[in-house]
Amino acid sequence: MASLVPCPNCGRRPKEEFTIKGAALSRPAPGADAADWFNYVYLRDNPRGTYEEYWHHTSGCRRWLVLTRHTLTHEVAACRDAADGSQLEGGA
Amino acid sequence: MSEFRPILRPVLGTKQTVSSATLKLSPLPEGTIIHVLARPGEEDIVPFLGSLAKAAQHAVRPVSPGHWFIVGEEPMPHQEVKSLFAALEPRATGVDQSHGRVRIRIEGKMASRALSKGTGLDLDPSAFPVGQSAVTLIGHIAAHITRVGSEAFEIIVLRGFAETLWDDLARMSLEFC
Repeated sequence: MASLVPCPNCGRRPKEEFTIKGAALSRPAPGADAADWFNYVYLRDNPRGTYEEYWHHTSGCRRWLVLTRHTLTHEVAACRDAADGSQLEGGA
Repeated sequence: MSEFRPILRPVLGTKQTVSSATLKLSPLPEGTIIHVLARPGEEDIVPFLGSLAKAAQHAVRPVSPGHWFIVGEEPMPHQEVKSLFAALEPRATGVDQSHGRVRIRIEGKMASRALSKGTGLDLDPSAFPVGQSAVTLIGHIAAHITRVGSEAFEIIVLRGFAETLWDDLARMSLEFC
């Protein structure tokens, strides 16, 4: 695993301090089709490559982060606070 | 009104101070800990907190973005707490954590060596200078660490975890005693 996570608030910290929530997807509009919501809630791409995930720094700053991680090498390309930059790249 | 008054006792009151030439572990008096939560968008609130804290001989410890602890050795009278909370509004909100969190001091030449056994935090003075604070895990317990001197650290931990953390720290310090 990406054992050292570069938290934008705390610096490099061991992964044990974090909780992983899962893929960071952009949320459909409240009135979107049931199919869009089904897609958003249940369907995942499982790519071999970079992947955006929500990580929570549970035992640190307690902020939600968006981590860009390579699923094969586990290299962390980027890590930002989820509150910075509202637009997510990976679509639903 | 209940007939029974809660008995307040320091949670680490019965613990023996761990002390040697190179390391000393001691519980700090259960004085005042105020958790300050800033409103979103309040960027330059630190000098404001500093001015409020200085008046009462308290220290301001950063916790995470928008969060601070105001700590003091002496318990703060209820009226003073109320006026502090009033002074914080509307830029921030205060929560009295004096009975919810406990402070532990670890000092000496080997203090950072002992702490490093439990935390992934880089405690080197270049990365973690005097006055710096960080929330991290010590073993499996989340704690707030501040470097208060070149060889002294103050740990703030939830009261319910304080005894366990104390015992862990004592064990981590054993080889230096």
